[in-house]
Amino acid sequence: MTQELIAPAPVAGLAEGLAAEVERACAGLPGADPARLLAAVRGGASDAGTLRELAVGEAAALVAVEPAYSKVAARLLNAHIADEAAAEGVTSFSASVAASAAQGLLNGATVAFVAAHADELDALVDPSADDRFGYFGLRTVYDRYLLRHPVTRRVLERPQHFLLRVACGLSDTVADAAELYALLSTLSYLPSSPTLFNSGAHRPQLSSCFLLDSPRDELESIYERYAQVARLSKYAGGIGVSWTKVRSRGSLIRGTNGHSNGIVPWLRTLDSSVAAVNQGGRRKGAACVYLEPWHADVEEFLELRDNTGEDARRTHNLNLANWIPDEFMRRVEADATWSLFDPKEVPELADLWGDDFDAAYRAAEAAGRFVRQVPARRLYGRMMRTLAETGNGWMTFKDAANRACNQTAEPGNVVHLSNLCTEILEVTSDGETAVCNLGSVNLAAHVGPDGVDWARLRTTVRTAIRFLDRTIDRGFYPTEEARKANTAWRPVGLGTMGLADVFFALRLPFDSPEAQALSTRIAEEIALAAYQASADLAEELGTLPNYAQTRTARGQLHPDHFPDASPVLTDEWAALRERVARVGLRNSLLVALAPTATIASIAGCYECIEPQVSNLFKRETLSGEFLQINGYLVADLKRLGLWTPAVREAIKRANGSVQGLTDLPAELRELYRTAWELPQKALIDMSAGRTPYIDQGHSLNLFMETPTIGKLSSMYAYAWRKGLKTTYYLRSRPATRIAQTTISSTVPDPEAVACSLENPEACDACQ
Amino acid sequence: MLLDPGMDLTLRPMRYPDFYERYRAAIRNTWTVEEVDLASDLSDLAKLTPAEVHLVNRLVAFFATGDSIVANNLVLNLYKHVNAPEARLYLSRQLFEEAVHVQFYLTLLDTYLPDAGERAKAFAAIEHIPSIKQKAEFCFRWIGSIDDLNELTTAADRRAFLLNLICFAACIEGLFFYGAFAYVYWLRSRGLLNGLASGTNWVFRDESMHMEFAFSVVDTVRAEEPELFDGNLTTQVVQMMEEAVEAELEFAHDLCGPGLPGLSAEDMRQYLEYVADQRLVRLGFPARYGTANPFAFMELQDVQELSNFFERRVSAYQIGVEGNVAFDEAF
Repeated sequence: MTQELIAPAPVAGLAEGLAAEVERACAGLPGADPARLLAAVRGGASDAGTLRELAVGEAAALVAVEPAYSKVAARLLNAHIADEAAAEGVTSFSASVAASAAQGLLNGATVAFVAAHADELDALVDPSADDRFGYFGLRTVYDRYLLRHPVTRRVLERPQHFLLRVACGLSDTVADAAELYALLSTLSYLPSSPTLFNSGAHRPQLSSCFLLDSPRDELESIYERYAQVARLSKYAGGIGVSWTKVRSRGSLIRGTNGHSNGIVPWLRTLDSSVAAVNQGGRRKGAACVYLEPWHADVEEFLELRDNTGEDARRTHNLNLANWIPDEFMRRVEADATWSLFDPKEVPELADLWGDDFDAAYRAAEAAGRFVRQVPARRLYGRMMRTLAETGNGWMTFKDAANRACNQTAEPGNVVHLSNLCTEILEVTSDGETAVCNLGSVNLAAHVGPDGVDWARLRTTVRTAIRFLDRTIDRGFYPTEEARKANTAWRPVGLGTMGLADVFFALRLPFDSPEAQALSTRIAEEIALAAYQASADLAEELGTLPNYAQTRTARGQLHPDHFPDASPVLTDEWAALRERVARVGLRNSLLVALAPTATIASIAGCYECIEPQVSNLFKRETLSGEFLQINGYLVADLKRLGLWTPAVREAIKRANGSVQGLTDLPAELRELYRTAWELPQKALIDMSAGRTPYIDQGHSLNLFMETPTIGKLSSMYAYAWRKGLKTTYYLRSRPATRIAQTTISSTVPDPEAVACSLENPEACDACQ
Repeated sequence: MLLDPGMDLTLRPMRYPDFYERYRAAIRNTWTVEEVDLASDLSDLAKLTPAEVHLVNRLVAFFATGDSIVANNLVLNLYKHVNAPEARLYLSRQLFEEAVHVQFYLTLLDTYLPDAGERAKAFAAIEHIPSIKQKAEFCFRWIGSIDDLNELTTAADRRAFLLNLICFAACIEGLFFYGAFAYVYWLRSRGLLNGLASGTNWVFRDESMHMEFAFSVVDTVRAEEPELFDGNLTTQVVQMMEEAVEAELEFAHDLCGPGLPGLSAEDMRQYLEYVADQRLVRLGFPARYGTANPFAFMELQDVQELSNFFERRVSAYQIGVEGNVAFDEAF
């Protein structure tokens, strides 16, 4: 059985070829050592491509030792991409577009535009821009964004061809394409994934999010919603759908004189349907179901993600969100009773908010139309448990969402839910599916040692808004309900990513007053520039068709709903207000902060508005697992002579925390706290400060290492009192973890063994 | 003392609160097989080279019976002799987790091997495939030696039990399973079989805790009866570990053949020696090999995960959260 322990003889010339390539990839990167990398590449490869692949993997694994290897891996991968594209005859941008067009992947208008301006466009390509990618970013681009030959599966474009193709898909002139490409190639701004996937494509579905109102309380409407969800999901859209209007368990079905099984069986079907539709083969379908907490099935709804209990009443793929009226939170605070209703009996509640909802709810309650009553705190506690155990059951606040929404000026226009990531807040109705087209400014690309470059930030925002507005007209809409709503309201969602980079670059701890003030200022600048750009567009192209139904048409801008806000750009807001009164706006909504998980990876910055989760962590994606290390921290450690194997191991052992590194100066330990180590109150306060300038919402994750019902209920009640419109995941950590294999074993310290919750007096370490 | 014969029922005062905390932590980490998405693996399987298919089939065959062997020893030996009710709580919980693992690997096998004959062959591997058979023989040789012991009355009995426990935790869970995990993560590092890897992440997490529990039992016995840990025991543990490395290495030769891209039997030898040293040192024995870990991709497993929920199910949640609604707690 035993075979000889002999590695296959290397093919002549392979090793030399790799050595030269690795040498090139390490050029100009002082930390990267070609010899070290070559030594790590083990055998088993019989061709140059596989050997290079191994080298990429080894370089990527060295990132935790020296961040410069990320660039080395990216360069090696880029050489591979170039070879692959060349094998398809792609050596220039126009050749790339021609090759993709030959496979029917692109739309005629984009192909014709590129053909007509081939030389000018080819000249725009900046080959040095590839060097801005880190490994994880380029790997993501390669695995999922570059167009591929349908049969050979080889790429038909290189990274810069891809970015220029995205720009051309949204342009009519070379100058336009150049303007957008300049932002993309510097990673200053990136549109959302659907736009990156599909701009210029045969079916250019460019929108990220779709929000569907609850099905009507009837069979046909429910099945019609499944079909809509499937069509929208197929083209890479994330789905939010309300289920508040569907009757609850035990409700009488007149047609058959039977009783309803409630919403759970329907959501099971939705769950299967969502799992079946793979988004164009590129990522899994995903949906979030919203339910108001007065729905009589709410408790079963909260159990849908539990991993225990009857599997027939579980949905493993759906995300869940609570759409909470203020009345519920008031009763939680007052420790009062909460009434649960069958929507079939009280159909009016789902379409009301604010005082009208409160009045209708109390009237229905007084009339005894409820199915049953529960202590409000018990239900709230159940919500907290769901959050702690599944991270799901997001707390989103119906009245705050409606009160300041530009689309809800007229009665009947109601925001019924948010979207998959809780940042979109738009009205929906039975015939109107809300849509949002998104993009995010990379704040890390707009910060220097002296601070944020406000002028550049504004320029970026104005360009971004102009192109986001175009996606509305150029997009392919998988359903008529989506097209109708999007062209009538013309909402867009400009967001941000890399806020944590800004704070690291400027050395501001996340919870410092300076960080709070800067965050609010960034939000104000972006909102102002976005409104200015939309006013420009209104002047040039006309207002949105539903302009008369907006609050703006009544003289209100979003910050006006927040009397406590204190804008610093008062003169410019005044000028804007005067101008908008004259020309209107092109877009009903402009700002929404999406989570940016994938595009922040491409840009190589921290996600959205989030603090860092760890100084050292791995990302798990469909492409594999990737180590990420905080480059700002490593630079500081190197400067202090502390970047040693012992320190690296200590960081790893501490799950990416540096709080135990006593050699690190206290102010740096404070700066490099992780999300788990920051007071969550500061995150909520920062979000509240930004809310006046976010006319939709933002995806705010909250972090708690070991959640308890008491801490969570305090935290979410605070978030509600601070006027947040929505919150997103609750992140917690597993109660147990994998034994670390690659750090040295030691016999545990008996003191540590003695530490336990069971005998707290024995434990000082935890106090 | 922990190994004194009997069926102690006293939980208050609790002698070993640490065991009880481990029991509670394990419950907070409950997962079920239904949560693992194996769908994408099927298309990956079609892409594998014959050498890779061979590796995957052998791996599945090993998994098919490995956890059952562990579960059996748990019930027949450990539960009997570790005499503290809080420790038995943990072992009961561990038994449940082993059952989930058996179910996971059964589901995996049913998914990967559509043919009923192939499935039967995988379970028969323990008889017919030499590289698996000899691993099973190793297990039975070392852990089966105390099958006839009903009470640990003498020091020799207790040393025999310790050998069983160390074989169980350090060699089977701590080396054989860790070897198998390395193949899974090697596939994962090449973007293959994500479903297998995500289920394995959870199995890995559980096995890490099982191993740590067993080691803390050893620690406890060492503190209570240091005289049991004589030179003879050390010699036997080291010999057992060497045999385990050899057995796993033979399996590696079978799996890797003449070598796969970035993975050869020689790499596995280094990795196994490295892991074996870790186990020995953790148990307070001297390292035997002094070999460094060759697999950078294993480094990834030590680092906190952050999943993009669009892509992967997030496994970092707890169940059994406690407390009451309040409005004034710090957060």
